[in-house]
Amino acid sequence: MGGAQRNARKKRQARQAGGSPAVAAARRTGDRKKLVIGAAVVVVLLAAVIGGVVFYNNNKNATEGKDIKAAVPSTSQQATGTSAPPAYQVARADGVVIVGDDTAKVTLDVYEDFLCPACGAFEAANGADIEKHVEAGTVQVRYHMLPMLNESSDPPGYSMDSANAGLCAADAGMFPGYHKSLFKDQPEEGGRGWDREQLVKLGNLIGISSADFKACVTSGKYDSLVQGNFDEVKKTTYLQQDVGGGKKGFGTPTIAVGEKVVDTAKSNWLDKLIASAD
Amino acid sequence: MIGLLVRLGLAAVWLVSGAIKVSDLNQTYIAVQAYDLLPSGVSSVVAGAIPFLELALGVLLLAGLGTRIAALVSALVLLAFIGAVAQSWARGLTIDCGCFGGGGQVAAGETKYPQEIARDIGFLLLAGWLLVRPRGILSLDGWLTVREPETVDTQGRT
Repeated sequence: MGGAQRNARKKRQARQAGGSPAVAAARRTGDRKKLVIGAAVVVVLLAAVIGGVVFYNNNKNATEGKDIKAAVPSTSQQATGTSAPPAYQVARADGVVIVGDDTAKVTLDVYEDFLCPACGAFEAANGADIEKHVEAGTVQVRYHMLPMLNESSDPPGYSMDSANAGLCAADAGMFPGYHKSLFKDQPEEGGRGWDREQLVKLGNLIGISSADFKACVTSGKYDSLVQGNFDEVKKTTYLQQDVGGGKKGFGTPTIAVGEKVVDTAKSNWLDKLIASAD
Repeated sequence: MIGLLVRLGLAAVWLVSGAIKVSDLNQTYIAVQAYDLLPSGVSSVVAGAIPFLELALGVLLLAGLGTRIAALVSALVLLAFIGAVAQSWARGLTIDCGCFGGGGQVAAGETKYPQEIARDIGFLLLAGWLLVRPRGILSLDGWLTVREPETVDTQGRT
């Protein structure tokens, strides 16, 4: 049998097998259905992706177009209803903010990031207590605001912007209220954060009216100071804590007295520190 | 029967992982950023897209609609995940994959790269099975594309 004959027979067989009009019609319908299903599936997947991105953007921008809620620090200020600077010392020493009098018995070094949720929890648990002792003159706090989570806001940079703004507020003598407000109305990690305009507005709300403050916040005046501070802290041996796997690392919040990290897990840690300093 | 189990299994994986991610989108962004692969603007898009894509794949697989395409997309997504985890491992990053929620930086001793990759390869096998044999019982595909006229053609063959 020659090749041509074989081919012809194959064609005939093929026609007989699948070539009947009914089967061909059914196959066409089936193919069309498959095409429609395929197209529908692709549309569903695309809709999920596009809808997801739109939804995500609305979701993360929860802080857009709002004012940061102002929290007033001391009881005396609430009583008079004005936003005067606190009665105790508030000063900036390079990248560190010193709050409370030099004669205080205990000096706390507090290492924080305004975006860090654990720092927010620390402030919620201990902020009022620390404030009380600062007012009483028993505790001085040295705040080191660090850009630990600078990449964790979307867009990145809230950690740095807020740390810088904190130093600007310290220049104006209003750090305590500013610090308290940013932690009370803390943006969610991974979200948008507050932008520089909103950080300026918060200053105005708590009573900072100088043009210097606005320029300081919007220009990122102390960014390099904050970064230098952070680089230093990451290299400071006594600030490194066990992070598991036999390795050590720096994390926020870290509280230290002298050159020793303080365990703040127990609720009376501050009272004990003060008692032992007597 | 095996086909059905494989399909429902992969559907469950996507529905669970997608739902967890959707419930905390900011965390998803942190997880994507931690891979340190994409500029933040792109991370933002990926963090928005991935959770909902996972949910959509889960729903399609559960219904058995467009199973082959869903399996193909699943396989591509899983390959991308495996690649992303592998590069983190190779570069010595210390992150959680954020496969089922969570994600972001973890302590050096707490990375689980081999387990994460093994798990994803397992899911990839499920997707591979469905790619080759997408048809199974209890699927919309089967129900929609039944060829009734074909069962008896003019010569009485089935």
